[in-house]
Order: sequence, then structure tokens, then C-alpha cells
Amino acid sequence: MITITNLKRIAIAAILIALTGCVSVTKVDSGDRAVGERLQLHLDGAWNQINAPSVVGPNCQSWTMEGLTVDQILVYSGLKNDEPIHYQAGGSSEKKVFKFHSNMQPEQIVALYEGMLTRDGSTFTLKKLEPAMFGGVKGFHFEYTLVRKTDNVQISGTGSGAVSKGELFAIVYQAPQLVFYPRHQARVAHIIQSARLKA
Amino acid sequence: MRRRQFLAAACAASAGLAPGPGRAEDAWVMPPRMERPDVATDEGGLWALMDREEAKLRRSPFAIRDAELRSYVQEIICRLAGDHCPDVRVYLVRNRYFNANMAPNGMMQVWSGLMLRVDNEAQLAAVLGHEIGHYLQRHSIDTFRDARSRSAFGVFLGMFGVIGLVGQLASVAGAFANSRGNELQADRIGLSLMSKAGYDPAEAAKVWENLLLEAKANPAGDPTKNSPMFATHPPMADRKDTLAQLAAALPRGVTNEKTWQEKTAPYRREWLNEEVKRGQFEESIALLSRLMQRSPEQPDFVCARADVYRMRSSDTDLNAALADYQAAIALGGEPPEAHRGMGMIYRQRDQPAETKKSFTRYLQLAPEAPDSAMIKNYLEELGA
Amino acid sequence: MCTAALSHTGFAHAESLNLAPGFETLPKGAKVVIMPTDIELFSLTAGGVQEPKADWTEAASRYFRAALIAREKALGLTATELNKDDADELSDVNFLHAAVAQSIALHHFGPSNLRLPTKDGKLDWSLGESVASIKQKTGADYAVFSWVRDSYTSSERAMAMFALALVGVGVHGGSQVGYASLVDLNSGRILWFNKLARASGDLREPEKAKETVKALLEKFPVAK
Repeated sequence: MITITNLKRIAIAAILIALTGCVSVTKVDSGDRAVGERLQLHLDGAWNQINAPSVVGPNCQSWTMEGLTVDQILVYSGLKNDEPIHYQAGGSSEKKVFKFHSNMQPEQIVALYEGMLTRDGSTFTLKKLEPAMFGGVKGFHFEYTLVRKTDNVQISGTGSGAVSKGELFAIVYQAPQLVFYPRHQARVAHIIQSARLKA
Repeated sequence: MRRRQFLAAACAASAGLAPGPGRAEDAWVMPPRMERPDVATDEGGLWALMDREEAKLRRSPFAIRDAELRSYVQEIICRLAGDHCPDVRVYLVRNRYFNANMAPNGMMQVWSGLMLRVDNEAQLAAVLGHEIGHYLQRHSIDTFRDARSRSAFGVFLGMFGVIGLVGQLASVAGAFANSRGNELQADRIGLSLMSKAGYDPAEAAKVWENLLLEAKANPAGDPTKNSPMFATHPPMADRKDTLAQLAAALPRGVTNEKTWQEKTAPYRREWLNEEVKRGQFEESIALLSRLMQRSPEQPDFVCARADVYRMRSSDTDLNAALADYQAAIALGGEPPEAHRGMGMIYRQRDQPAETKKSFTRYLQLAPEAPDSAMIKNYLEELGA
Repeated sequence: MCTAALSHTGFAHAESLNLAPGFETLPKGAKVVIMPTDIELFSLTAGGVQEPKADWTEAASRYFRAALIAREKALGLTATELNKDDADELSDVNFLHAAVAQSIALHHFGPSNLRLPTKDGKLDWSLGESVASIKQKTGADYAVFSWVRDSYTSSERAMAMFALALVGVGVHGGSQVGYASLVDLNSGRILWFNKLARASGDLREPEKAKETVKALLEKFPVAK
């Protein structure tokens, strides 16, 4: 996951990665879309997918409408036990890695996100955590707000997911509270509702 | 007037070289209020950019804007700063680390990590008095000139800024510490101000004693990574000893512990949650154990320690967490989260009766909690 | 498939790169509010680490602001600034704009492989109703935002660069990165955006700051 822990760093890193040619942005077309082997989604309107194989793990996709520093959707499909929910820049001095474990309860998965999102000093507030169907499987839904340390922007976020056969399937969306989160919220809700998990 | 100031500073500084029971403090005279220096001077330039940093702080979503808490802290500062009171502006900041800092333009920052750790007004006054001491003697100008000549000035500014990764500062510690003489002078002045304001100077050493306790709990850790303050000041053990020695010669005074606890009570749970979320288990346990010992009737500290045990969840931790949750509940007025925490452990251990009891109680106490729907669902699964 | 994508495309369509679809020029005499510039100057150490230089920034901040207002007036616009209280109250919008501008700089003006297909090559971003508060406070119809990050090579680095150049290794010397944007306060649309990325320019002196402002506001869309 390309998490915005440092705007400057991500801009520079993105430029460096781009210059080595290993990043591309492709269109996620409206309509049905398979993500990984088991997750099926339906999109109402196109999105932009950031392809950076050296940066984002194979079981997580990163989408955006307005740009990485504004909004981001993370789509997890089949994240396995012990896999991190975020990327780690090569040679990074990060000590703490946030790994998913198959036996995690919903509140622990949310705590994992909270830990990841707050490691740069950002502050996280959980607004809601409730059981919800995801992809036809019993799962969870959460909502949060974040005050982003690097640029002081107040962010709203939402996540829906489920653990199926020990793997994590989830969609997490966040964008600035002001104007941007509400702008794309309905379409994100539609994507989440459309999710189907193959057995 | 300048000459007298210089002499007063020189006296204090030279006396500072020979620590011992102090006649020197009596010789120190508070300098007069400062005029804003000419923008063309380097001091003036420093003020101007501190004003910019202050604007950033004012606009930051991390500033605590609670008028009551802010004016309470401002009053304490005014008692210390005397005639300089109108020149000092305090900003309270949401930050889980221990830090307070005063810039040459009169802007004072206090982080919530510090407010969680000090036991009373006197301890806060000790730290703020020390910072005011640096301000009154214009020590940061010396550091600024020194830093500038090393052309690494921007990192110096980071000490005053809200934004900045604490870890980075540790690596430049040596460069931006005040000189030993200046540090000693600030400690002396801080104690003098504390004393004149009626506070008990013995509390100053306690601040560092308490922080040392926390730092020692994590033998692998580097305390300088926990706060810009540790990175830029003399080692905690030295300070503790110096302050204890200096305080011995001064009259006793008040601590105002009760008032401090009352005024910060509305924030206690929020600051404790932030501390727990740091994920520094050993340090948090040391801190919380100390707070429990100090305030045995307060369930919030016990509950927070239980949360840390539960997060760490090594072999004996879950039992330790349960014991702490139960102790918090026994005290009464416990946070609803104590019941949730117990419920989570019982659920993990497959103890349905206990799980039901705990989660039901949690929902009774906090029906509007953000995760109430999830907890209700757990209860339904158990056939409650 | 990793192929190098070093060139910036789009110079053939330079004007549409900077202008939102359907927008060409501001009417003469339009009332424009100059939002406080976000500006930081750095020094690059020998190791390539950026160290913020607060004293340089302080001076640059002042020169840049003065040059910006003067330029806007010269373009025939009624330029106003925010007072301190208003600037404080509008800080959320300023922060939001900065985040959006970074995305524009990255995904619209950056390397072609970072373009967002849904934008279809157009400058198509809007701050929506978040800018209503600016209009309310100032009565202006447009706002100009600006952001500058400038890095200078310190003497250590210059030495290192020289030494490396001797053995044929090129090293980045320092650069100026900035943007300026024009926002319609009625719709929230970003009407015009320019990005500055070059290796020269010096904001530490008033004349040079004027020159940087001129470069940043190049082709600012005013009716001739």
C-alpha cells in the first residue's frame, strides 16, 4: 500500500520510481472486475489503478480518482497470514511492520490499520465498527477520521472486509473530509456492496 | 541597564560553574521585558521566523484549543514569568511525547505527553520555569548563532516546530544543546522562579526521576528517541542530582496536585489512550505503574495498564490484564473499556458466560460506543 | 514491463496542460485574493539530505509575497491579501489545496507514466464548495495559491559534486520546485496551474524572487 506517511517523500519516491519506469497507471473500467482469484467487484464509473509491482504487494491494489495525495482505495484480495498490509520501502529504517494474521478479530484488523496510519504522528479516531456482510461472507465495516501529520489535512475513511479461509479481503477508502470524501463516497459504497467472494 | 543585565548574567553564569547551595540565585535579577529586536539583526531575523512557526502552530489541527485548560496553564506561566507574563503565549499540542519548549519570541509549547506525566503544578512549573530561564537569558540566541555558523540551522528550528519526526532530532542532539553553563543557569533560574511563585522546588528533581524510571524500563531503547528534550539536554540522571542539590537550599512550597489532576481530568483518558497506542509496552507499564502507585484510587491508570498487557499478550500478560481490569472495576468509576477488554480476553479463551457478562456491562455503560454494534453481534453469537 | 519513461510529454499542448477545459482568460480588473504562500528553502548536504533553512525561508517568504502582489497588479487585476485572522480560519482550505496541488503536480505535470486515465489529459480538478468560505471573507471571485520548495547546494556538496564530476558522475545540484494555481471561487474549479521545476533561481534576494515569480506566473491567463 502506498500510504501517505510523508508527502515530500512520496512525491520524491514516486518520481524516482517513475523514472525507473516501473510504475504505470492504468484505467479500471466501469463494469465487472475480478481482483485476484476470489474477489469479484462491479464498478460504476472508471477509476485509476497505480501499478508499482516493486512497491505494492501482489495481493493489494491501489486505486485513486484525484491523485495519491488526495484519495486512495486499497483493495485486498487474498492477503495471507503474516503478510503486511502496507508496503515497506527498500532499505527503510522502519522497525514496525503491520502484518495481518488469519486469527485476527475485526477490532484487531482495525487496530492494525490504526497503527499503520498513525506511525508518522497522525491521529486516528474510530467512528464506527460493526458486523457487515462482505462479498457474501460475514465480515466487518469500520469508519474513521484521521488528522494527517504531514500536511494537516483532515481525512475521513471507511473500510469493509472479511477473513475467508484465513485470507483477508477488504476495501479501504480514504479522502479529505472536506469535499473529496463525500464526492466519491456513493461510488465506493456501490463497489463494496457489489463485492462477491468465490468459495 | 544593559550593563546590569550583563553583570547579572555573568554572576549567575560564573556561580553556575561551582554547583552548591546557592547564594547565586539571590544575585540573579530578572531582566527587563524585551523589546522586539530590529529585523535586520540576526536576533530580529530569528523572531520573525519564530512568528511564522507560531502562525503554523496556531493553525495546526494538533493544537489543543480548549480555552479553560489553556488559560489555566497560562496562569501558571504568568506566576513564573512575573513582569514578562504579557510576552509569553502558551500553545498546548496533541503529541504523545514529553516536551515543552519556549522560542525567543515568547511562544511556549507544551505537549500532551508532558501533561500526562507531570504529577502536579509544581512539576510543570519546574519544566516551564527552566524554559523561561532560557528565554530570559536569551540562550537560544547563542544556540542559534552557533547553529547558524554550522549551517544546519533548519534542524534547530525543528525543535520549535510542531511538525518533525522526533527520531531525527536525536541524531543532531549534540549540535543544538545549550552549553553546560547555560543549562545550569536555566535550572537555577527555573528553581528560583518556581520558589518565588510559591512552588516546592523539590518537585523539579522528581520530574527527571520519573522519566528515568520510564527510560530504564526499556533497556534496549534510546531515550533520546522519545523526546526532543532528551536529545538536547544533559542526561536525566545528572539533571536530577543537580536539581535536588540546588533545591535543598530553597524553602518548601506547594505542589497543587489536586488542582492539576482536576483541570487535566477531562483529557486523562484521551492522553492515556495515546500513550497505550505508542506500543512501547515496557515504558508504558513503568509509567502507568508509577501513576497507579501515586493515585491508587484512580481506575483510569489501572485500565490503561491492562490495555497494554492485553496488547503485548505474551504468556502471563492476559492474566495480568484481567487482574488489572478487575482491579479497575473494583475501584468504581472505571472506563467502560475495562469491561470490553475483559470481554475480549474471555472471548479469546472461549469462556462464554464471562464474555457475556463483560460485554453486556460494556454496552450498559457505553451504549453509543463506536463499536457497540460489533459487541452486540458478539453477544448474539453467544446466544445472549 | 519496465521501460524508462524520462520525457515529459505535453509540450505540444502546453496551453491545455495549464488551463482547465473551457477556460481561457480572466477578465481585466477581476478581483483576486492572494492566499498565503507555502514556502520552504532547503540546503542539500553532501549526502543529499535536505535541511530546511529557516532564515532563508523567512526572507524569501517576504520577497515572494511582495513580488506576487506586484505582478498581479501589473497584470491589471485587483489583488488583495488575507489578514492574519482570516488566514487562520481558512487554513483548512489552504491545507486541502496543497494536497490537491501536489497531485496535480505529480499526475498532470509529472512523468507521463503517472497520468491518471480518468482525467483524460485535462486539467480537471475542483475544490468544490470548500472555497466558498474564501469568497465569503474576501468578496473575491478568484484566488491564487502558490507553493515553493527551493534547495540550494551547500558548499560541501559543491565540493563533492566537483569531485564526482571529475570521474564522470553527474550529481543533482539543487532545484527549485513550485506551483501556482488559479481557483474559481464560485465553482471551486482549478482554472489554471503552472509548475516550476528548474535548476536555477534564487529566492534569497528581492530581485531574484521577482524573477522566480515571473517564471511561475508565466502565461497567467489575463485578457491582453
